[in-house]
Amino acid sequence: MRIYNRYIVILLLASCLIDVLLAYAKQTDIAVYFTVSVIAYLIITVLFIYLSPRTRRTLSMVSIVFLAGFMVVVVLKVMEVLHLR
Amino acid sequence: MKNNPYRLLGIGLTIAGAIFAPVAYFIINSIPLTAIALSSIMVGFTSIALASSRPQISPEASQLILETGMENIAALLEELGLNHKAIYLPSSMRDGNAQALIPLSGEIDVRRIKGKIPRRLIVRYGDNPGDMAIAVTAPGGTGLDKMEIKSGPTSSEIEQAVTYVLTGLLDLANSVEVRMSEKQLDIEVTGPKLHFENVWYYRCMGSPIASIVASIASEGIGKPLRIQEESYQKGKNLIRLEVLG
Repeated sequence: MRIYNRYIVILLLASCLIDVLLAYAKQTDIAVYFTVSVIAYLIITVLFIYLSPRTRRTLSMVSIVFLAGFMVVVVLKVMEVLHLR
Repeated sequence: MKNNPYRLLGIGLTIAGAIFAPVAYFIINSIPLTAIALSSIMVGFTSIALASSRPQISPEASQLILETGMENIAALLEELGLNHKAIYLPSSMRDGNAQALIPLSGEIDVRRIKGKIPRRLIVRYGDNPGDMAIAVTAPGGTGLDKMEIKSGPTSSEIEQAVTYVLTGLLDLANSVEVRMSEKQLDIEVTGPKLHFENVWYYRCMGSPIASIVASIASEGIGKPLRIQEESYQKGKNLIRLEVLG
């Protein structure tokens, strides 16, 4: 299997597994699903160090977008906690 | 720009996810299904990114260029009647890139190689009048100094560098395993896209994959190497390199 195909398949499997496990744990906060998926995405992308430099540059840009979303979720959660206090 | 499977998959996943997410959240009122739609959008974006990072030269064009180069070297070898196995030299022994040395007569005794071999086609490598060879750049011999993952003297460093080139850069194999003993390197290339053929060029220089492996390993070890044996079985290319000197 080509390295790109393997990467996409692993991402899809990891996403499905995370969603199934969190659903099984009766998680009802969409932010939790999103943050765990982003963390898994970042880990898998880092593990594929053999991708060509051009591909890794493009994937880094996608990672930055996801990381920005992740940070927004974290900031909103912190604000929510502080507000409650 | 021509559509490729990654772009089609990416667009499909992104559109499906974007349509399904509000339906799952507002109408079905299911968080897990909304999460699946979000995951679909994430993988979709990634797939589109992969599509846009594909090389500008098509694989067919690259294969054409590779075959042209090999045809020219094969014609030269056949015309000169050279049938000895090539020796792969690291760039430290050459005035330039890592190259392959094919003796004009007999075997090369690497101990006779004096200093750096000049950047010419026909070269003298020793003091004797018969120490003549032709020096050609083998596949994988160029651009070794520009690689992000450099080859080194240990088996794991060679394995990393070869995997990076064959799997990541060139997409010629699925994985690589390197075992190293004192005077020998055994390399197992799984899922090679180019196979060994029993033709003059391959008998002399090795297959393109073996040439790339030998060039990288020679550069890492810093010693000359020879492709001792090459075979293909059960989807694996087994290459045995002999460390000289």
